[in-house]
Amino acid sequence: MLSAQERAQVAQVWDLIAGHEAPFGAELLVRLFTVFPTTKTYFGHLGSCLDEVALLNHGQRMLMAVGVAVQYMDCLRAALAPLATMHAQMLRVDPANFALLSHCFQVVLASHLQDEFTVEMHAAWDKFLAEVAEVMSEQYR
Amino acid sequence: MVHLTAEEKAAITGLWAKVNVEETGGEALGRLLVVYPWTQRFFDTFGNLSSPSAIMGNPKVKAHGKKVLTSFEDAIKNMDNLKDTFAKLSELHCDKLHVDPENFRLLGNVMVIVLASHFGKDFTPQVQAAWQKLVSGVATALSHKYH
Repeated sequence: MLSAQERAQVAQVWDLIAGHEAPFGAELLVRLFTVFPTTKTYFGHLGSCLDEVALLNHGQRMLMAVGVAVQYMDCLRAALAPLATMHAQMLRVDPANFALLSHCFQVVLASHLQDEFTVEMHAAWDKFLAEVAEVMSEQYR
Repeated sequence: MVHLTAEEKAAITGLWAKVNVEETGGEALGRLLVVYPWTQRFFDTFGNLSSPSAIMGNPKVKAHGKKVLTSFEDAIKNMDNLKDTFAKLSELHCDKLHVDPENFRLLGNVMVIVLASHFGKDFTPQVQAAWQKLVSGVATALSHKYH
């Protein structure tokens, strides 16, 4: 459970990303695929050649979902239920990959925010993304 | 055994040349202790770890962080032979320090985030990939002598 302070940290960082979901999302995916090539196995439906347009589109989708999670931090389970169902029944992404995504997300934040990515923000986001990941895999079995 | 291409090695050494070992080490270790508070279990003698600012400002954390990152320099000088380079340290971490190797992976990832925050756009996906390979290789080498 995130404390009030941690929620504020998460929201504060999100204010800096809101409106830029597509480029941030694309960068997140590029980092994920470059650093952890095995994650590409889940994105065959985007086409064998992941061009910039596909990355921007899918990246935006993913980051907008994170935006929903930020908006509904108090009731993540309800807010993310449809996505959680999709991951359980259709996508079936092995949960180990959520940690890889979370890490790359934090690298994106750190590289853009630099000094402003304080240790408190880092801690809050790691915790928040772990909670999102947990909700995503809750319906798996 | 980690296999780094010439390009990956260049990416690593190129960045390392600009790293402030003293500050970066302290920051990485400090962030580990804040973000993953259970890692504080190894540092009971370090004094005040009661808050993020206490941890980040703690002189023992800074000193130990510097020590850890200085030994990372050995990794960079011996990228083709991490197992032998870290054999003694691996024995120490198993037999004397009793550190779960999972902690090496956690610290490696925190280091990558610290480097990203310092180098911004220069910390490209390719540079990140090279460093992830290295920190993963070091973590494996440090766990090699565990029994």
